[in-house]
Amino acid sequence: MSDRSSQLTMDPITFEVMKNALLNATEEMAYTIRRTAYSTNIKTRADFSCAFFDASFRVVAQSFSQPPHLSSMKTAIPNALREYGAENLDPGDGLVLNDPHRGSSHLNDIALIAPVFAGKTRIGYLANMAHHVDVGGSTPSSLGVNREIYQEGIIIPPTKIMRRGEIDNDVLGLILENVRAPHETGGDLRAQMGANLVGAIRIAELMDRYDVGQVEAFFDELLDYTERWARREIAALPAGVYKAEGYRDNNGFDDEPVKIAVAVQLRDGSARLDVTGSAPQQTGPLNATRSNTLAAIAVVIKSLIDPRILVNDGLYRCMDVIGPDNTVLTATWPAAVVGAWELAQLTAELTLTSLRDALPDRIPACGKAIICNLGFAGNDPRKEAYYCYMETVGGGNGARPAKDGPDAIQTTIHNTENAPVEEVEINYPIRFARYGLIPDSGGAGRFRGGLGIRRDFEFPDCDTIFTVLSDGTRFPPWGLRGGGDGRTARFILDPDGNAERLPSKVSITVPKGGRVSVQTPGGGGFGHPLEREPDAVVRDVRDGKVSHRTASETYGVIYDAATWSVAHEATLAQRERLERSSTR
Amino acid sequence: MSDSYRIGIDIGGTFTDAVVMDENTGDFRPVKVSSTPDDPSRAFMEAYTRGLDNQGLTARQVGFVVHGTTVATNTIIQQKGARIGLIASEGFSDLFEIAWQIRPNLYDLDYDKPPPLVPRHLCIGVPERIDAHGEVLVPLDEAAVYRAARKLAEDGVEAILVCFLHAYRDPAHERRAAGIIREACPGLPVCVSSDVCPEYREYTRASTTAVNAALLPAVGAYVERLEDRLGAVNPGSGLFLMTSGGGIIASGTARQQPVQLIESGPAAGVIAASYVGRLAGYENLIALDIGGTTAKAALIENGRPRLAAEFEVGDAAVATTTRDKGQGYPVKTPVIDLVEIGSGGGSIGHVDPGGALAVGPQSAGAAPGPACYGKGGSEPTLTDANLVLDRLDPGYFLGGELRLDRSLAELAIDRRIAGPLNMAVEEAAAGLIEIANANMTGILQLVSVQKGVDPRAFVLVAFGGAGPLHAAALAKALHIRTVLVPPSPGVTTALGLLVTDLRHDYVRTYISKTDDLDLPALTAIYREFEDHATGLLLSEGVSRDNVRFVREADMRYLGQSYELRVPVARLSESLPGKMNDAFFAAHRRQYGFATRDEPTEIVNARLSAVGAVPRPSRRQVPKGGPSSRTALKAKRDVRMPGSTEPAPTSIYDRYRLQANNRFTGPAIVEEIDSTTLVPPDCTVTVDDYGNLLIDVD
Repeated sequence: MSDRSSQLTMDPITFEVMKNALLNATEEMAYTIRRTAYSTNIKTRADFSCAFFDASFRVVAQSFSQPPHLSSMKTAIPNALREYGAENLDPGDGLVLNDPHRGSSHLNDIALIAPVFAGKTRIGYLANMAHHVDVGGSTPSSLGVNREIYQEGIIIPPTKIMRRGEIDNDVLGLILENVRAPHETGGDLRAQMGANLVGAIRIAELMDRYDVGQVEAFFDELLDYTERWARREIAALPAGVYKAEGYRDNNGFDDEPVKIAVAVQLRDGSARLDVTGSAPQQTGPLNATRSNTLAAIAVVIKSLIDPRILVNDGLYRCMDVIGPDNTVLTATWPAAVVGAWELAQLTAELTLTSLRDALPDRIPACGKAIICNLGFAGNDPRKEAYYCYMETVGGGNGARPAKDGPDAIQTTIHNTENAPVEEVEINYPIRFARYGLIPDSGGAGRFRGGLGIRRDFEFPDCDTIFTVLSDGTRFPPWGLRGGGDGRTARFILDPDGNAERLPSKVSITVPKGGRVSVQTPGGGGFGHPLEREPDAVVRDVRDGKVSHRTASETYGVIYDAATWSVAHEATLAQRERLERSSTR
Repeated sequence: MSDSYRIGIDIGGTFTDAVVMDENTGDFRPVKVSSTPDDPSRAFMEAYTRGLDNQGLTARQVGFVVHGTTVATNTIIQQKGARIGLIASEGFSDLFEIAWQIRPNLYDLDYDKPPPLVPRHLCIGVPERIDAHGEVLVPLDEAAVYRAARKLAEDGVEAILVCFLHAYRDPAHERRAAGIIREACPGLPVCVSSDVCPEYREYTRASTTAVNAALLPAVGAYVERLEDRLGAVNPGSGLFLMTSGGGIIASGTARQQPVQLIESGPAAGVIAASYVGRLAGYENLIALDIGGTTAKAALIENGRPRLAAEFEVGDAAVATTTRDKGQGYPVKTPVIDLVEIGSGGGSIGHVDPGGALAVGPQSAGAAPGPACYGKGGSEPTLTDANLVLDRLDPGYFLGGELRLDRSLAELAIDRRIAGPLNMAVEEAAAGLIEIANANMTGILQLVSVQKGVDPRAFVLVAFGGAGPLHAAALAKALHIRTVLVPPSPGVTTALGLLVTDLRHDYVRTYISKTDDLDLPALTAIYREFEDHATGLLLSEGVSRDNVRFVREADMRYLGQSYELRVPVARLSESLPGKMNDAFFAAHRRQYGFATRDEPTEIVNARLSAVGAVPRPSRRQVPKGGPSSRTALKAKRDVRMPGSTEPAPTSIYDRYRLQANNRFTGPAIVEEIDSTTLVPPDCTVTVDDYGNLLIDVD
């Protein structure tokens, strides 16, 4: 397709070569972190992101990413460089920071920044951000129900932790003394610093091949190119203002639902997320900073436009979050914020849903809509040491307009891997009692919502502080166009005995030998269940994903269990019967 | 006269290549026949027969045949694997449904996981449990295993796999279960995870085992068919297959372990590169294989290709980076660490909506093929671009078998690229090639700089039909000084089949702090491996004198999840210290940093058992003087990389070049299966084995 106005001013070949070199550099940083980190959340579950910023603090390239990291880095890194003074960073230096109220999302996300030089010219900055298993505070894994940020853990303003390639052990020591898993955190921080060193070498190699002026021109060109392409794509989405609202369980202190209201404004090639009307900033961990909320709109828009468009400052120029400060989605100091990603998940789902009529062929039903942060801690008798472990659990994806939602998967802003059962059991005094899909948890529909996950933990060796910082136990993931809701989340103490339901934000001590069950939501269905292909229903029943009862009473499908074939006439009759009773 | 020949047969998507090698002289002759995808054994036998006929040989003169095949990969990619059932620990039978719980591309609202290797109704949990420390928590419910096996058999499965938690640590339950299944379902193949992949991380282990089980019936039958057909003409000859790791295994072993064959074809190319490189006197090489749809790169250090421990098979066989994880099925077997991208002669160029020029990964394939083939293709490909710049001779493509149409190439480039970008057709063609080169430079970087290796100290070995056309420009981009183009680059991969050893790899998870290493326990593991390997190699016809062992271990800092492989010297008190030293050095080399202050652990014990296969020494080509005039067949104007105008260029006939011939670019060397481009300022020397050594500096 030809469009003269969209042409690059730069030689398109040099452009492509430089773009790939830069992306390779950030990918290599990601590879280094993953391969060398110590904590399961980073090395196995890949809860980290890497990026390169130019000398004007604009994000130019990023690796494989967790989106809230990227939107956080986009704000927090420039803020840190301005506050500390970029001119105070020499080659081999590195800054560490984690303060959400300086522009990131929660204290667990620790960022490392390193300057990149070409000769004596400061060409830009490498940064990476990773979710650490614990940063101190009231509760193991720093997932507590607290009133203010000071209770959530150690707050690190932009601080020099590397000088001329050497780690400042005073600073590192101060941080490690304040966290519950110092061996792992130390290993993770070294991995993050190592990644920046690797990235700096790669970028220096790029500088070898081109002169500084050429590279700086390339940064401008790349960002303009991305912006131009993104704006054209956004402008092709139907203009208008689109609204949706929903609720989180509570703020962890009282039992009031917390309202989230979004209005998506699509106009002139830009996308703005207006959060006016959302609940005020909460006393408790369920608060998100403005830059954390930006991830929601960024992920949704990026998902709706040409997938080849890169995520960089050019894309971010096309979107922002508007509305007053001090709502639950635009929280400010001294709000506690560790539950921010639980908000971003719902905000992203609502942003998608707001567009359901504007883009009827593309918008899925609501997915699991939680992160499901879980913390585990205790005195491991085998290692004679305190341990601290955290993970999150996938769930159902919403059904799509033309196909089912995937089962057991991470959704919207979130994409961390599961930790293998065997790896966790080898390393921690945790034993799994089961790990599988939850039948019937996906919302019924012409297309079925994905199934949630049940993961049951047992603590054979010691009393364990078990923490949930999540949501989704009251308001289920919704279906679209007649599709049913997904099943809500459940957190259950002693699932095979008393089966006591736990709230979605809690920290309890489970005595040695005890068990907990974590059950994540299924996704919403899409379209009316009576329109579902009967063969698909029978296949689901045969696979144990849908029960016999749901098949007949919700989907109206009757089948021969010996041959797994649809009884067509009986199905027709059953569907007519269900239709009549629903219209009555 | 020699009575002793060996034959390598490599089956690709379009062609089946064979190389018949004289074991005494190392001379080889290539044969190319069309592949027969409906029954690859037909093309196999045709290549075999033609290879013999060409030289007037009889089947009795063939000592052994080595085969490289894509049959395993294709069976998985096309989802034609057998219907298999899983028996797992109760409560954990959903591991194929859950997989990694991630999306390879976060922004894809339409993503679907690859279909589970085993449908859920064929996954059955049975009561049993062993914990991480090897303690039995729940004894195996033998009646439940029996019932599960019967149920799966009634549902028509063609193989059953067993994967119990922590079976890498104690395989007793899995082995007992296998016995019960054999009793319940006589004749049904059974694969247990502790045999196929005795390493921790249950999903990867189960996936590897499932891929093996899914391949067993089809690949087993295929290999058996080859054995029968070969046996009919020459009952005495052996049949071996190339593994993903670049070794060969006897056909009988391959029938049991088809999961070893997934990257069989690509591995052979890398082995060939190391062979031709070593003969020419180079041990540090980067292999570059550019075919019709993909380009592959691999690193060879000290004569040995790099191996990776794990990869994914699925839509695309992907390398071992974090990128794109979750598109296929993880397979944990040794695999030559190669990177592949969709960039080959048939890759299509286009303008993206942001106004940038891009090439691939879409390919025009063999049909309709590049526009210039005149077979109905209208999209501009790399081959079209090379033709427009006169780098290819339209009358001598595949030795003249296919006449290329330059005007169709120009038309396609003009319509799709030059017109929209408002540039001349030649500029657009040069741009396409430059971008493809940039992408291919990327994979060369992935196998070198990203692994902490400086490519400047390496020789680039270029092969595959299109490799020699692009190699010099790629070498320049990476500051590589020397490019080596072997004779008949189009069949180099088949040659690789004949120049490797029998090889069996053993691994067992054995976790211990390095400083607390239990030396007798470790010794016992290596002994057990060695006893088993010796028996297997002897049964495959290797003499005891030719058996060698390489002991290695996977190590990491206590707390990490990814290991680095280090050699294990003779077991003695000083071993832990030596292993730590090797680990620190490897960590620094790989990641750029290392500390001696942090404790390390050993995770896996590994053994490679090698049955050496004698390498023929190649006969040398006739010697000539520095002048290459006798090989000069024409002059034509060609636009070279980096220049904006066509310049007069010497065209050489590869078959008439002699050792010691020298010439400088701009030049082109033509042979039936490939074209070598020599840019200006580059000097070519023909070595004693007929290799073109291009000095790029």
